[in-house]
Amino acid sequence: MSNSSIDDKDITRELWQSRLPICFILSDEDMSKVNRSESPEPLYLMLSRHSYFPCIIEKIFRYYSTYYKGNLNDQTNNINLNNLWLEYESIPLKWHYPIGLLYDLYTSSLSSSSSASHLPWQIIVHLSKFPENELIRFPDIESIEAHYMTTLKEADALKHKGQIIGDMQKRDHKQLWNSLLQDKYEAFWNINIKLMSYTDNLQYFRYIPFRIYILDKPFMQKLFSPYNIEQNKWLTLYDLLQYTLNHEVQCEKLANEKKFLNNNIENYRVIIHGVQPPLHSPIQWLSEYFSYPDNFLHICLIENQMR
Amino acid sequence: MSTIESDKTESKTVNFDETNLSPTRPSGDSENDGKIVFLLKAAGGAPILKKKKWALPRSKTIGHIVEFLKKYMQLDVEQQKQLFLYVNQTFAPAFDTTIGAVNDCFNSEGILVLHYTFTPAWG
Repeated sequence: MSNSSIDDKDITRELWQSRLPICFILSDEDMSKVNRSESPEPLYLMLSRHSYFPCIIEKIFRYYSTYYKGNLNDQTNNINLNNLWLEYESIPLKWHYPIGLLYDLYTSSLSSSSSASHLPWQIIVHLSKFPENELIRFPDIESIEAHYMTTLKEADALKHKGQIIGDMQKRDHKQLWNSLLQDKYEAFWNINIKLMSYTDNLQYFRYIPFRIYILDKPFMQKLFSPYNIEQNKWLTLYDLLQYTLNHEVQCEKLANEKKFLNNNIENYRVIIHGVQPPLHSPIQWLSEYFSYPDNFLHICLIENQMR
Repeated sequence: MSTIESDKTESKTVNFDETNLSPTRPSGDSENDGKIVFLLKAAGGAPILKKKKWALPRSKTIGHIVEFLKKYMQLDVEQQKQLFLYVNQTFAPAFDTTIGAVNDCFNSEGILVLHYTFTPAWG
């Protein structure tokens, strides 16, 4: 879509390389069960924004389990990998959301400090009392891979009626996931570039894969074409947001809800990958260059605080 | 317009209330309170349901439907372990996805078709 393809590619590389410094701190409850003379220090890791917490769960568990020697399979302690969960400001973190999305959504909305920087991101590690009703257990690597692949299929269903991913070899699917795990940008984009092409004589995606997240609400996802044929113009991030918010309010009215979403865009900060893209950015461009590796644009709307 | 509080949507417990799931009203009645109408189709050898057409508020999740089906179909312990719900016979949305979001993107002429299986039929 764009003329300066070299500059645009640089952006995808920058996004790929973006990291978050995270400080994992053991919960007080589990700290009290440590059976060594010294308590565990916080664990500091630099994690990829587009990765998923379960990809490093084993690493976290191995670090803390050295402090529970002899206790590991003790029933009364319940300290085991299956019971590990992560929390930020009393919120159990969903394992299937990319790390960067969780950071953008929760630290911007919830942090009690008003300072701009919430880094390193402080996360509480729990090794017991898994919140059964709020979280699915951190699954194994195969489950996260399955989740990633199914999300990719959904994105392609929206963009190309599933034609491109359907025609890909199984080994191409594997390459996408493995390069994500092993942090291999070139290997990833060698395949991902195919998912960014056009089909059906269109010069754009049929529909844009996107999700909009507002704190304490399930995400919103709608059908949205990036090009307005009648008016012969490219639609922007602003257009997409306005359409989604208006549509959602319509749905709330049809469902006889008592309270409605605030559909005034001015009320929100719009964050993708930790930055606020200009609202006049063409959504086709954002979809091609600013999507997560699952090919979705995960967009956070952070309500502006009342001053 | 001041900030509106969000409505608490999906209850966190898995207990299902059968009255939440009702077959659609007679065809002459177009009012369905903004509920999502969906068809449940069997795949991969799963048993076929007598009632195929259902309606749910848009805020209900895929996970809610899966838990309901497991109980409604009176599955044995082995079968209860995994029930997959597919859209477009292609992908299985995460359990916390609302049926409203799925419907908005993948309904066909106002009806959403979901396939249920015991095995990951489409990966």
